[in-house]
Amino acid sequence: MESLDALLEKAPTLVKGTSTLDELSEAEAELLGRRSVVAELQRGIGRLPPEERPAVGRAIQEARRTLGNLIETRRRRLETESERLMLASDRVDVSLAALEYQEGYTHLITSTIEEVCDIFIGLGYRVVGGPEAESGIYNFDALNTPPTHPSRLESDTLYLDWGDPADEILLRTHTSPMQARYMEKHDPPVYVVVPGKVFRADTPDATHSPVFHQIEGLAVDENLTFSDLRGTLAYFAREFFGSERRIRLLPNFFPFTEPSAEMHASCFSCEGGGQCRVCGGVGWIELLGCGMVDPNVFEWVGYDPSQVSGFAFGMGVERIAQVRHGVSPLRHFFDNDLRVLSQFR
Amino acid sequence: MRVSLNWLADYIDLEPSQPEEIAQVLESLGHEVEETERLAPDFGRVVTARVLEVEAHPRADRIRVCRVTTGGEPQTVVCGAWNFDAGATVAWALPGATLSGGTEIGRRSIRGVESNGMICSERELGLGEDAEGILVFDSGIPPGEDLAGFESLTDTVLDLSITPNRPDVMSYVGVARELAAYYRVDYRSPEPAFPLVDARPRIGITVDDPSGCYRFVSREVRGCQVSQSPFWMRTRLRASGQRPISNVVDITNYVLLELGQPIHAFDLEKLGGEGIVVRRAYPGERLTTLDGVVRDLTPSDLVVADRQRASALAGTMGGGASEVTASTTEVLIEAASWDPPTVLHMSKRHALRTEASARFERGVDPALPPVAAARAAELVSGLAGGEALAEVTDVVAREDRLRPVTIDFELREAERILGPGFDAPRVTDLLSRLHLGADGEDPIRVEVPTFRPDLTRPIDLVEELARLWGYNNFPERVPRGPGGGRSVSQRRTRTLRQALCGLGFSESVSLSFMRASEIEIWGWDEEDERALQIHLKNPLRDEESILRTTLLPGLLRVARYNHSHGLDEVAVFELGRVFLDRPHQVLPKVPDQPERVGLLATGRLGGSGLGVTRRPVDFYTVAAVWRALSHQMDLGGWRLEPVEAAGWHPARAARLLLDGRPVGIMGEVHPAVVRRAELSGRVIAMELDLDPLVADRRHWQFRAPSVFPPYTFDMAFEAPEDLAADDLLSATGEAAGDLLESARVFDEFRGEPLGRGRKSLAINYTLRAPDRTLSSEETGEALRSMAEAARAVGAQLRGEL
Ligand SMILES: [Zn+2]
Repeated sequence: MESLDALLEKAPTLVKGTSTLDELSEAEAELLGRRSVVAELQRGIGRLPPEERPAVGRAIQEARRTLGNLIETRRRRLETESERLMLASDRVDVSLAALEYQEGYTHLITSTIEEVCDIFIGLGYRVVGGPEAESGIYNFDALNTPPTHPSRLESDTLYLDWGDPADEILLRTHTSPMQARYMEKHDPPVYVVVPGKVFRADTPDATHSPVFHQIEGLAVDENLTFSDLRGTLAYFAREFFGSERRIRLLPNFFPFTEPSAEMHASCFSCEGGGQCRVCGGVGWIELLGCGMVDPNVFEWVGYDPSQVSGFAFGMGVERIAQVRHGVSPLRHFFDNDLRVLSQFR
Repeated sequence: MRVSLNWLADYIDLEPSQPEEIAQVLESLGHEVEETERLAPDFGRVVTARVLEVEAHPRADRIRVCRVTTGGEPQTVVCGAWNFDAGATVAWALPGATLSGGTEIGRRSIRGVESNGMICSERELGLGEDAEGILVFDSGIPPGEDLAGFESLTDTVLDLSITPNRPDVMSYVGVARELAAYYRVDYRSPEPAFPLVDARPRIGITVDDPSGCYRFVSREVRGCQVSQSPFWMRTRLRASGQRPISNVVDITNYVLLELGQPIHAFDLEKLGGEGIVVRRAYPGERLTTLDGVVRDLTPSDLVVADRQRASALAGTMGGGASEVTASTTEVLIEAASWDPPTVLHMSKRHALRTEASARFERGVDPALPPVAAARAAELVSGLAGGEALAEVTDVVAREDRLRPVTIDFELREAERILGPGFDAPRVTDLLSRLHLGADGEDPIRVEVPTFRPDLTRPIDLVEELARLWGYNNFPERVPRGPGGGRSVSQRRTRTLRQALCGLGFSESVSLSFMRASEIEIWGWDEEDERALQIHLKNPLRDEESILRTTLLPGLLRVARYNHSHGLDEVAVFELGRVFLDRPHQVLPKVPDQPERVGLLATGRLGGSGLGVTRRPVDFYTVAAVWRALSHQMDLGGWRLEPVEAAGWHPARAARLLLDGRPVGIMGEVHPAVVRRAELSGRVIAMELDLDPLVADRRHWQFRAPSVFPPYTFDMAFEAPEDLAADDLLSATGEAAGDLLESARVFDEFRGEPLGRGRKSLAINYTLRAPDRTLSSEETGEALRSMAEAARAVGAQLRGEL
């Protein structure tokens, strides 16, 4: 039994002195192996008087457990260390882009349309589309734009060599024809947004394109006033350009709204004054045209203008995207240069 | 319209308003200020001086020696201009003066004569374009004044953009009237007063066409002397954007800007005969206008004619033959009211937009002509020394146009559109400030003066109330709609777009046109749907003359554009309409314009990295893209079948059938098209009708994954080359029945030792039952029937089962 005590005394030094798993295995063999003191004591147990056997047996079990724990603790420690060394040699350059997924990018025009539609969906609007090749009836007549109006001239509108010339088939000059098309088919209340392509007889330059995009908004209900127009546009400006935005409305003229206005939002990039890229130092950004729906439009679609009222607005998608992200000149929206597309998000 | 605040001060007192404030007020009233320009002299030490003597230079023919004085000792100045004589008041740049642009003036000897500074032209002082002669002042201006101190030269000009409904604001008086309404002050309008002579007018007026001419006023002024107009008038005209010409012509422009009534001055002696007639032009008639252009007239043109020929395009531009020139002495002043659409038509037809036509096409107050003619006569007699005849000819062809409109305005209208607060006192106050007559409580009887042709309906008055009340003084309120959001197909279109982006394709947006050269590249014939082209009636350029019938030319253009900028790996898609020369299926009168989804890719596709070899695109890429899309879009029941179509690779293109109906083509673009587009390698593309892809459909149904082990095995088949893998898969799949979990071709092989026209397909199958572990009997039976099914479609199992 003295040998067991001596063993337990020297064992911690022996085990903690090992520095590899191999050395630990050797120590384990020495302490608990077939030739170890413990094994010999175990083998000699049968030669002891029966009354001593239990006590010795317990002592041996105790020693085995103690030694086993000692070794196991050391083993875990050595294993951790060895893994640490192995992982350290597996070091990467975290700055190296060794692999890139091929990303596809949604066009800025689309993402802008989606975002604006989402804002209005939050206010209970419906998203609707409409034909791009339109008739003069919906593009102009329905919208209180008489045949003599300058916007109907060939210098402004692209006409198609198609159909009955009396129908004046053209490429819609705004998304507003859907106002008439939608109201014709649906009773009030009407809350819709209409995103889409529109066309003008313009030669491409820094600020013009024969094709661009608009989002039309139309709300018609029983008690809508100018205040509803103001509030809705202010809400939009804050959602799209930031919660600090204020708006101002300046009187303007459009055939299909009255009163008509141009909506400006306070600049998000400056406090006014100076050389601002966004607003030119004015402090306000011209965003869109709007107004209260003209009674003639209601009459055309068969609504009673004395019973309903409403407002409409039309914004240029490229315009608001341009204001927010600085994309310029306009052709960058349509060249589809991958170096530009990959900037969109 | 350019508004000089110096000039504007004639009509309204705005002390002590700052230009910035006036600009803001005008903007709040709906008159956009496009630019605010500060005018100030940028010269120094230039004074007015009297020329005492002018003598020839002893050693030069083209320059003269002048003695000038500011009131003190006369000094010598050498001058090269000849448009003045002794007695003239001129601008003298003293030695040490700086001219516009920074030129410094000293004392120097010119051919032996010492010149003390110089006498300046308008251009040298930055006051105008005239560099022909020197600037000569009116006799009223005393010598010795510092020119930079002239108040009229320090000015602010507001460049206003007036909306088309407001012709009444296109004048100084009109702008003053708007400001007066805002500030609650009075404005002044000129009240012409001048000596008259009693004599019969020589020219009689006949209006043949009352539809085009509402009113025609003519006044004759005799004994005029055409010369330069006074400095103050030239300064005002220049500030307002007009080039001074001569006193009589300048006066017509001055009155136009002042009152908004365009007037025309004829040289009375150049008019043929003793009468003027307003009539439609004769077919074939010609008129040379003041700009020197010979205009071919048609009966849609309205002209002012003498007995012999047309002498002016009504309300647009005068004719050269009756133009006022330096020798003119007898002047006929015309002030008329023209029909707006007639003038608009003429100015567009002749591409001739003038200050006059810009006003007439919007509508000029028919009450103005007599006032404007009198104002012009007053100025001509005062500045050109003429005598105005007392008798005025005033032909009113349309009496109705002179009557003010009345509108019965119910207060309810204001409240309905503008909200509460617009009661009778407020409404009456606002309307009166706008110079409208307002009588009664509710309805208010509103009398609209003739200068506001835009106000005819109650809603027009509502806008006026809002405008003067202030658009920004209304509270904000956000109404909520009943909802609706996006439709199923809109939501599914968004899913499609997101799926394509996820697969590495970028969205492009193209103009909706295609060019003739692009059609040639693709080479489709007349039978092709793509030949159903619609042309524009009035294209601006070749590039935008034909509506696209397919998205692919636009996508190929994107590939070419990027290729030419050094980017060879292009993967793009577009969602948009094409236009086909056939009627729309639902909407009457408009052409068919279905929405499509198209995509195109060149080079390699997929993630890239160190040591990663990516696969160049080919047919299998586009088919894989479709399979991923069909999964993302939850589309079953589709099938690809080989197709030969113009522009597509004859052996590497497939038509997509969805529920048996063709919805488009995908595959490799024909190598010839690729060559013609100056690209290289394989180019893949797809173009599908959008509607069937995004239509509502039966939703996918959940299948509980089995907890029992799978039975996975490979089978290799030898088959004729033209056996579609799909056919083999479905035949064997059907044979496996419900047990089939998946089947995937993992190898395709052609060549030795199979022999010509043969191929081998290796397929990996997984069988599994939902409720049990498959027994060897069951799997054996399945394999046998699968091999049997394969044999039935012509494929032999290779090797043993
Ligand atoms: Zn700014």
